[in-house]
Amino acid sequence: MPTNLELKMKQQLSENIDANINTINSLLEDNDDLVIRTFYLQFQQEIKCIMFYLEGIVNANKIDSTLHDLMSYRSANKATENQESSNKELAESIQKHLSHNSSVMVCSNIRDGITAILNGDCLCIIDQSDQGLCVSSKGGDKRAVEEPMSEQVVRGPRDGFTEDIRTNTALVRRRIKDVRLKMEGLKVGTSTQTTINISYISGVVKKGLVEEVKQRLNKINIDGILESNYIEELIRDAPYSPFSTVMNTERPDKVAAALLEGRVAIFVDNTPFVLVVPVNFWDFLQASDDYYLHYLTGTFIRWVRYVAFIISLTLPSIYVLLTSFHQEMIPTALALTIASGREVIPFPVLFEAIVMEIIFELMREAGLRMPKPIGQAVSIVGSLIIGQAAVQAGVVSPFMVIIVALTGISSFAIPNFSAAYSIRLTRFPLLIASGTLGLLGFIGMFFILAIHAVSIRSFGESYLAPATPFKPSDQKDFVVRFPWWGMNRRPQLASGKGVRQATKKPTPPQEEENSNKGSSSVIEAGKYISHEKADDNSKRGRKQRKTIKLADLVASKNKNDQDNRK
Amino acid sequence: MKYKITNGMYMALIINMLYPKAIGITQGSIAREVGSDMWISTLVATLLALLIFWLLVVVIQRIPELDIIDHSKVLFGPLFSKLVSLIMFIYFVLSFGPIMVTFVYHLKDFFLPDAPVILFIVVAVIVGSYAVYFGIEVIARISLIGLFCIILLNTLLIIGSLEDFDIRELLPVFEFGITSPILASRHHLADWSIVMMMCLVILPTVNNDEGWRRSSMFGVIFSLIFVVMWPILETGVLTSQVTSQYLVACMQMARSAHIGFFLHRYEMVMIAFFGISVLTQITIALLCASVCFSKLFGSKKYHPAILPSAIIMGAYGYWVVLNHNRAMGILENSWVTYSLSITLGIIGFMWIIGFFMKKKIKNAK
Repeated sequence: MPTNLELKMKQQLSENIDANINTINSLLEDNDDLVIRTFYLQFQQEIKCIMFYLEGIVNANKIDSTLHDLMSYRSANKATENQESSNKELAESIQKHLSHNSSVMVCSNIRDGITAILNGDCLCIIDQSDQGLCVSSKGGDKRAVEEPMSEQVVRGPRDGFTEDIRTNTALVRRRIKDVRLKMEGLKVGTSTQTTINISYISGVVKKGLVEEVKQRLNKINIDGILESNYIEELIRDAPYSPFSTVMNTERPDKVAAALLEGRVAIFVDNTPFVLVVPVNFWDFLQASDDYYLHYLTGTFIRWVRYVAFIISLTLPSIYVLLTSFHQEMIPTALALTIASGREVIPFPVLFEAIVMEIIFELMREAGLRMPKPIGQAVSIVGSLIIGQAAVQAGVVSPFMVIIVALTGISSFAIPNFSAAYSIRLTRFPLLIASGTLGLLGFIGMFFILAIHAVSIRSFGESYLAPATPFKPSDQKDFVVRFPWWGMNRRPQLASGKGVRQATKKPTPPQEEENSNKGSSSVIEAGKYISHEKADDNSKRGRKQRKTIKLADLVASKNKNDQDNRK
Repeated sequence: MKYKITNGMYMALIINMLYPKAIGITQGSIAREVGSDMWISTLVATLLALLIFWLLVVVIQRIPELDIIDHSKVLFGPLFSKLVSLIMFIYFVLSFGPIMVTFVYHLKDFFLPDAPVILFIVVAVIVGSYAVYFGIEVIARISLIGLFCIILLNTLLIIGSLEDFDIRELLPVFEFGITSPILASRHHLADWSIVMMMCLVILPTVNNDEGWRRSSMFGVIFSLIFVVMWPILETGVLTSQVTSQYLVACMQMARSAHIGFFLHRYEMVMIAFFGISVLTQITIALLCASVCFSKLFGSKKYHPAILPSAIIMGAYGYWVVLNHNRAMGILENSWVTYSLSITLGIIGFMWIIGFFMKKKIKNAK
């Protein structure tokens, strides 16, 4: 049974302007920001027009311009002015011949008009016409493009996504000027009507992936989408898993790179976080810097991050199991140091570790939520003064403070905060298992976590690939970041085996090439040498490169021996 | 089992299934018989395994979509297949004894001597069952991680023990004659039998049946490479006399490894790597037993069979592990006899019978 509201929304625009005004007013009643502006067309003063828009989400200049077009100008088309076209078609005629706005649409029902108003456009209804005009006037205050807060780089672009979906798609379009780049749109959320764009490069993306993404998005039935995490949680493969199978990023360059690798990006309006699917676990440990710095530096930093991941996940557990169960494994001098630090501590190591971890999380959360200047102060006070005081009071051992601090710092080294959170979550079961069952608990829980991670898929792709299942061709961008000239093909998650680039390893220009350039001299080892000499050298070089056959070598040796004997 | 695994994963499964017991407990048994010739016995067993693997692949390749139980169903009908299921289920239950000996004694005797045995069994069974729930594909993937751990473990051991290695300890070769190492190879062949029985169940899930022979061959050869360094190092570093004194000889070997002065004991790191491998072995044994159990009762899915199989196997494993003397007796005597009889019996019978029932096989294809 449709409600009164639904019935009104389904209505067609009437030729009676008052009836239309009443319907729209009843739908948008009690809205202080609704503006209703009456005006008359320049060439037909007897025809009343009404413009509806919501103040604050429109661009006032566009509204002024629209009114200016309709109230000041005459149409170049005589048919519009002379009413040769009936009033019914007046809206269409104005759209085609009078309005200067780049995006004007003719609407014939209330729903379209209301949707346009709520989206920040203005609706013009015309007396004696059963058609209205939806004139684009989206605007309002927006945040400027700024450096992303959550993913900063040393070298690389500084722009980040904003809350405006069009700005975000533009930031990606500016990077990929390819006709195959697609931005398919849909609306999700019965109340919020949030615009979502699915972006991909057709031909690069694997067949079926886009359909799968669309299918999952179309299944969503929710009243509102306020942030991309709503979408993330509603489309992910492993809903109960602490591991995230959807990447979120604030960086347009990261999204562009993902699209070029054959992934799909999901832009959600009103959030600077864009989703990327499918992803592997290792993608969360990779940062944009890896690709913008020298490949050796990039690889080294990546290794540091892998070590940070291992420390973040296992260090407290290893410390607890060593000090609680397997003291004999610690070198004697170190064991004595730890023991002397723990002498006055009244709690078991596991309890101490859990309490310290919780306190650390508390400080981090407090530092994050508080206003920036106070937050920093809380962090410093918390880490230095409370830590020191706790050690002096004999509540916590100094070694435990080091372990927890090192673990915390390592978790900050993980570039994606979602991954850092999931690792933080998985640390606790590992810690409890190690603290209660020692090595047995550690191995058992680690195996369970590994099995769980291995069993997960992200939109059909194995979560731990290319480690397991092992994909040899994808190893070029896993543990080691190969130089760009070495990464010829796209990852296996892309369609087919597309060649990504065909640049060969860069080599310095050959000497003969230099000699052909017409300059009077070429540089060799910092000295100027003449063309003749350069030619000579190149010929000698060619001679040196000549293949020497084994038979020839033996023959020449024999000849030399014979000569020597003579 | 509708999922398919790659040939690489299949090889990793072979290695993981063999490695945990073969490197230490088996070497101790062999050392007690042939002294420094343990590596020769290992080599001989592997060569024999290579031959049996060839037969095994030939048997399954006749109808590549079916495992050995379904093969028997095609050839002799459902009743015979139930008998094969029962024999294979019993086999995997029996195999859980040596597997649990490997798992429990490595951890309990060297790291947690005061912990009750039941704790190890419960952890092994819970973790194994959890993994089995996800099926062969996930287990095969985890076996790749296990393989990586094996490589790290072997590397760490080589680094830590090469300094103390004395090649003269390997001499004299054939100290106890030529036949003794061949006879002693039965201990290692018993380890191989678990791998072969696993293959009889999981081989149809491996991609590209034409490559099975090659994958199996490489799997066996890689296993030899990963395993044979242990008897060589154990002899060269510990000596065969010392190796023969220990039930878990590899742990003694790992304990003696040291890098410099400060890193004088890192067996815990090695056992952490070893843990993935041994848990993979436990998981595969549970999976195969569950599959046999489900086929015994005519169930198409193996998931309902996980719990009863885990309870039966856990109970048997507990009984074996509870007493060291009993465990040793089973390991070195009855286990070798039963495992080799069942494995060679099933593979040999199915191989020979295939020649007489070509028509049925052709129809089934």
